[in-house]
Amino acid sequence: MNYKDYLKEERLPSSWCGGCGNGLVLKTVTQVFEELNYKGDEVVVVSGIGCSGRSAGYFNLDTVHGCHGRAIPLAEGIKAVNDNLKVVVVSGDGDLLSIGGNHLLHSARRNTDLCVICIDNEIYGMTGGQKSCMTKKDVVTITCPEGNRDIPMDVQAIIRSHGNFYARTTVFHVKHMKKCITEALNHKGFAFVDIKSVCPTNDGRRRGFKTPFDMFVYLKENFKIKEGLELEKNEIGILK
Amino acid sequence: MAKTLLQGNEAVALAAVDAGMTFFGGYPITPASEIMHYITKINVKNKNVKYIQFEDEIASIHSIIGASLAGAKAMTATSGPGFSLMQEALGLAHMTEMPIVVVNVMRVGPSTGMPTLPAQGDIMQSIYGTHGDVFPIIFYPNSVDEIYKTTIDAFNCAEELMSPVILLLDGYVAQLYETVQVGNYNNLDRKRKPLGNGKRHFTGLLSKDNIPKTVDLDLLKEKLLGFKKKQELTAKKYNLYEYIENKEADTLLISFGFVSRALHAFKDKYSLFRPVRMFPVIEDLKNIAKNYKKIIVVEMNVGRYSSLVESLLKRDIISLPLYGGKIDFDYINEKLKNEL
Repeated sequence: MNYKDYLKEERLPSSWCGGCGNGLVLKTVTQVFEELNYKGDEVVVVSGIGCSGRSAGYFNLDTVHGCHGRAIPLAEGIKAVNDNLKVVVVSGDGDLLSIGGNHLLHSARRNTDLCVICIDNEIYGMTGGQKSCMTKKDVVTITCPEGNRDIPMDVQAIIRSHGNFYARTTVFHVKHMKKCITEALNHKGFAFVDIKSVCPTNDGRRRGFKTPFDMFVYLKENFKIKEGLELEKNEIGILK
Repeated sequence: MAKTLLQGNEAVALAAVDAGMTFFGGYPITPASEIMHYITKINVKNKNVKYIQFEDEIASIHSIIGASLAGAKAMTATSGPGFSLMQEALGLAHMTEMPIVVVNVMRVGPSTGMPTLPAQGDIMQSIYGTHGDVFPIIFYPNSVDEIYKTTIDAFNCAEELMSPVILLLDGYVAQLYETVQVGNYNNLDRKRKPLGNGKRHFTGLLSKDNIPKTVDLDLLKEKLLGFKKKQELTAKKYNLYEYIENKEADTLLISFGFVSRALHAFKDKYSLFRPVRMFPVIEDLKNIAKNYKKIIVVEMNVGRYSSLVESLLKRDIISLPLYGGKIDFDYINEKLKNEL
C-alpha cells in the first residue's frame, strides 16, 4: 500500500490550522505503515480528544475517537481481545499526559503492547491556548498571563521508570521522527513516542513567534539528536 | 440444567461467561468485587475468558468499549462511586452504538456514603447519568436465580440494542447465597464486524458515514429519535416483571430488588408489582394500575422510581421511601396502615 492509501483522501485537507505539526505526524505515521507493509486490516488507530485527537478520523482504517484522555485503556481493551491487531494511539499532550496520565502510567507499567504517539505541542490548542502539563516554566499562556509557575512533566522519567520504550523527536526532524515511529511500532510491548510539535495559532503568536516557520526553526536549533541511555531536555533520541 | 449454590455476584460472573462474555475490565469496589474474583477463577481454567484489573473505573469501562469494538462480549462491574466515574464513557458507548453490559451493585450514597450497606439510590443515575439524551435499558433482578437469567438477558439485550445495558443489583442480593438453575440459554451473535474489517470511524462526535457532522441539526434529531425507537422496540422483547394479584386488594405495592423480597410478606393484604426491567418503565403497568385505588411505591431512596411511575400513569402515586440500608418491617407496616 502507498502511504496515501492509509489516509481518507476525501476528508483532506484537514481541519488543522496552517503551520500545525499534526499533519506532519499523520503523513510520517502513514509513511511508516507503508514501509512496514502493514495491511489495512491489521492496524487500528485510536485517538482521544483535542486537535491531535482528530487524527484517527483521517486514517483510512478502522479507527476510534473516544473520550478525553481515555484512548489508552480503550486501545488496551482492543489489544486484549485481538492480539493480532497492531494498535496505535495518536493523541496530544493534554489528552495522554494530563487527563489521561493515570492510564499512561499504568498501561506502561503493565507493558501493554501499544504504540502511543504523543503530538506534544505543550499547549491546549483546540480550547484556545491554555497551559498544558508540558508547558515550560515561565511561558505565558492564556491561563498563566504572568508566566507558568509549574515545571513540565518528566515523561521520559515516567516511561523509563518501568523500563519501557521511550523516544523523543520533533516535527522538524522528520527523518528522525520516522525512525522513532518505526522502532516504536516494531517494539513488542509499551512504546511511547513524544513528538515535540507546534501550535502557531494558540501558542506561537502569544509567545512572539512571527510565523509557524519560526517555531520550526526553534525546534531545529533547540533539539539535538543523541544516542544513549538518557536524554537531556534539549535532546531527542530513542531509549529502549 | 443443573442446580448449584452461588452468591449473587458469582451468578453474574458465571452467567456472563455463559452468555459469551470473553472480556472483563474492572476495578475493586465493595459490594461488587466478587464478580471480578469469580471471573479470575474462571480465567485460571479457561483462557478464552480474559480480564484486566485496571487502575480505575474509567479505564475499566473504556477497556470494555474497546473490547466490544474488537468483537468481544464485554462487561464491567462496580458500585455507586465507580458508576459515577463511568458516566462519560456510557455516553460514548451510546453514541458509537457499542453493546456492553455494566453492572452496578448499589450501596448507600451520596459519595462514600455508608460503606457498604445496600441501597437503591442509583435509579436516576442509571437512566440520566451521562450528559445528553441517551436511551438505556436497565434490569434489576431480586434473587440469585433471577440474577443468572437476567444477566444472560442483559447480554442478549445489549446485542439487540447495540448500546449499553445496565444491570442493577443491590448490596443485599449481590451478597446473598442461593441455589441457581444454570444452563438453558440462547445467546445472540454480534451484528457488527470486529475492528480490523473496514475503514470505519467510531467517534463520540455526531457523525454520518464515518464523517463527523458537528453542525448538522437534522442529523442530531434523526439520531436521537433512532436511538429512542431502537430502545423502545428492544425493550418490548424484554418485558420482564412480576405481578402477584390479590383479588381482595384495592392497593398495589410496587417494589424491586431486595425491598421486593421483604414486601413479599404483604401479598395477603396487597397486590404486588415488581419490575425486573426498570427502564423503560413497564407499559403493562398502565393496565394493571386501573384495578387499584391506590398505588404505593416502596423503595430504598427518596422516591425516584415513584416519580417515574407517576409520569407513566399520570396519576398520584404514594411514595414510601426507606432510608439507610436496612428494612424495618414495623416501620413499613405502620406507614402502610396510615395510608389505608
